[in-house]
Amino acid sequence: MRPSSSQATGISPETFVYAARDFIELSDKYMDSWTIYQNDNEILSTHLKREEFISHRDQTGKVFLYRAEYVIFYNLSYGVPSFSFNVWDCTGKLLTLEQVRDISLMKTRKEDFFSVVTQQEHPVLYKPYFIIHPCHTAELLSMFRKTSKNLIITFLSLITPLIQLNLPLEYGLL
Amino acid sequence: MATPENVKDIIQYVPFTSFVNPSFWHSFTDIKFNVDKLSENTKQIYGRFSYANDIGPVFEVDGTAFNKQPEAELMYLSIRGTLMNKNTIDDFKSIDKASLLNSIGEIIWHNSIITRLWMCNPSCLLNFFILSFADLKKYHYYYWFAFPTPSQPTVFLKEKSKSILTEFNESEIRTISQNYQLLHHSQRCFFVIRKENETVKVETLSNIFNRTDNTCNLDISSVYFAFTDPSNNGNPGWPLRIFLAALLEYSAIFHGSVIKVIGIRSSKEVGCQSSQIFNVMLPENVQCLQKLGWVGWERNDRGNFGPKLSDMSASMSPKKLAAESADLNIKLMQWRLVPDLNIEIMKNTKCLLIGAGTLGCQVARNLLAWGFRHIHFVDKGKVSYSNPTRQVLYTYHDCRDGGKNKVDAAAESLLSIHPDVNTGGLIAHIPMPGHPVGESLKAETILNIERLTEEIRAHDVIFLLLDTREARWLPTLIAADLGKIVINSALGFDSYLVMRHGIWSPNPESTTIHSTYVPGDQVGCYFCNDVTAPGNSQKDRTLDQQCTVTRPGVAAIAGALAVELLASLLQHKLGVRAPAPYNISDEMIDPEFEGVLGPVPHSIRGFLHSYQTVVPTYRKFKQCIACSEVVIDNYRKEGINFLLNVFNSGTYLEEVTGLTELQLTAEMSEVLTFSDEDQDTDE
Repeated sequence: MRPSSSQATGISPETFVYAARDFIELSDKYMDSWTIYQNDNEILSTHLKREEFISHRDQTGKVFLYRAEYVIFYNLSYGVPSFSFNVWDCTGKLLTLEQVRDISLMKTRKEDFFSVVTQQEHPVLYKPYFIIHPCHTAELLSMFRKTSKNLIITFLSLITPLIQLNLPLEYGLL
Repeated sequence: MATPENVKDIIQYVPFTSFVNPSFWHSFTDIKFNVDKLSENTKQIYGRFSYANDIGPVFEVDGTAFNKQPEAELMYLSIRGTLMNKNTIDDFKSIDKASLLNSIGEIIWHNSIITRLWMCNPSCLLNFFILSFADLKKYHYYYWFAFPTPSQPTVFLKEKSKSILTEFNESEIRTISQNYQLLHHSQRCFFVIRKENETVKVETLSNIFNRTDNTCNLDISSVYFAFTDPSNNGNPGWPLRIFLAALLEYSAIFHGSVIKVIGIRSSKEVGCQSSQIFNVMLPENVQCLQKLGWVGWERNDRGNFGPKLSDMSASMSPKKLAAESADLNIKLMQWRLVPDLNIEIMKNTKCLLIGAGTLGCQVARNLLAWGFRHIHFVDKGKVSYSNPTRQVLYTYHDCRDGGKNKVDAAAESLLSIHPDVNTGGLIAHIPMPGHPVGESLKAETILNIERLTEEIRAHDVIFLLLDTREARWLPTLIAADLGKIVINSALGFDSYLVMRHGIWSPNPESTTIHSTYVPGDQVGCYFCNDVTAPGNSQKDRTLDQQCTVTRPGVAAIAGALAVELLASLLQHKLGVRAPAPYNISDEMIDPEFEGVLGPVPHSIRGFLHSYQTVVPTYRKFKQCIACSEVVIDNYRKEGINFLLNVFNSGTYLEEVTGLTELQLTAEMSEVLTFSDEDQDTDE
């Protein structure tokens, strides 16, 4: 499926990689914990990763601990960055999409939820991941292209309305 | 009576909570498959815990645990540990956990504590242990963490813990934070903080203790013993326990004294400000510690001492991954497009395909795509060389050596597409009206009828996908008697028919006629349109009677439509009773007709030559040779004998249903008309 909008063109893989490298410098500076994985032979496998603990209190008041992993990668079909994630419990077992919704990691309404997130084999990591649909990313990114200081930060600002990401405020002050 | 100064609490150490990253299981499994195979090794691995104050005492392992060097992570301490994997669940269960922990403790005691190695290399005091058993067929991992520490001595807190800010100012804490970060990794777990006049110093243990000297001259009231603390509440974390045991073993100056302990907790913003100070009262009588046993097994979720289970099948088992991914496609349909879609009903509906030829193979594939997981076949044939190009479940290899049985090859093929499908088949010849059954074949025929009846009984939906008209008679009757959903499809050279049968209802006379639709149970069957019984169709083949030579696309279209018709029917709230509108393309269609996937027609006839499709609707025929009251009654009363009579005679059915009379009446009215005209012209 190609995006139907003709004005929004994507970014090249190189642009993504440069933006990712700049982003990592900022992440280190603000003590955010993103890491970058690169392979010079396989530019498309470059991706950014971050992990954090999430705690959830259920109705009975019991607290559960989970770990979330976020991966930003380059989506070749759409020519834009894409956001993927997984959440697991303390035994290493991955949460289902319904469970992810239940712990309020996602901020979308139930009706919109399933049109936003899908589960598939990750195109870079080859394991099942939840991926936020890249449909509108190209359009939105192209609107901010000129004023954006860093593509990845702009991209993350599109994601934060959808998912609870605790990002340092310093990114916004750039 | 205890006075306020004497009130003391036993120290409550906060135990670790283990947290396994899925990559740990991936690496572990890799190594098991590729390196270890069956050898029961103990392995050196790395784990880590965080001293960040926003996280509790979580002990983590991930895929990097098996690396030669641990990964350095911000705000984490890496700890060396051992993984002991058992090859059977019995070994895992039966091993004596207490002695195991004691023997690990012995090693730590002898190598690290009485040698005072901990003074140079404090991290040798910290260890962890994982006992595991991996069921690599199911991808179930049983595991149990232990953090070995001596069970004695019992130690008391003189007062509640207090913040480091009560005894150090902010600039002093900054100094501590900076110097703490400068400590070598192996020195960070246990060290000393000294405050002299206005200066604060962070020092390694080797700076203040002499390994070879038991008579320690240290003024222990003047130093703070510090440790990297995983806890984030008022109680100290687990590592303190072994530190105190080591100090007590080292020198008597600690016996019966009070020492100040700092549990270092950190945050990005304010460094070590969230650290806690503990005033620890050490006991007077310190027996030989090593005799008193070791503790440290982790409690499971229920708070008991027992192993944990990680069920990784959903993300690691290829079969499960295949099943989940296939189901995902259908779920996406529901989530994104048709929220009212009932996908469970597909999974739970059992389909029997009578005929495993061109139509049967197409229908089977499409059923899989829709999430049906119980698909069985009935066919007597073997795969022949002309089949694979048109019958999409078969390959060239199925034709070799005389050809596999079609039902077996079809079932194998389905399993190779989706391993999670319940499939199989019955090899049986279906007896036909007007095809006499001789004495020699009578017993076998009766057996086939019984087996066919059982198959139909055991399924919910019967697809009639045979290659002759008369072969469809028997399954139509049995299915009508048993109240099953029947989807019928037949092919001509460039045309096709896909239709659903009605079902038997007890009082057909009382149903009213509607002008816009026929109620679903009243729609006709394949034979309702006939006024003749199916003769021997080996000659004079017309549409629906000869299916052997067709344009290839026709089978694919008809097969797909047959499954879509079923899906549409199942998604209608009335199911098989869903009304069949006379006019589907009418825009004023009553919403009552519509199911979640739209209205459900009675039949669909397509003509490839002109690319046209029509959706005729017709009622049951009172004198139908397959589904009428009289035929079903006869079948119920006389059973096999009735059937044999039908098979042995070309006209028995016509007599039973009164069609013979109907034909005579038709002929009579022709004659009457003719004579009227004759009279007129004579005028």
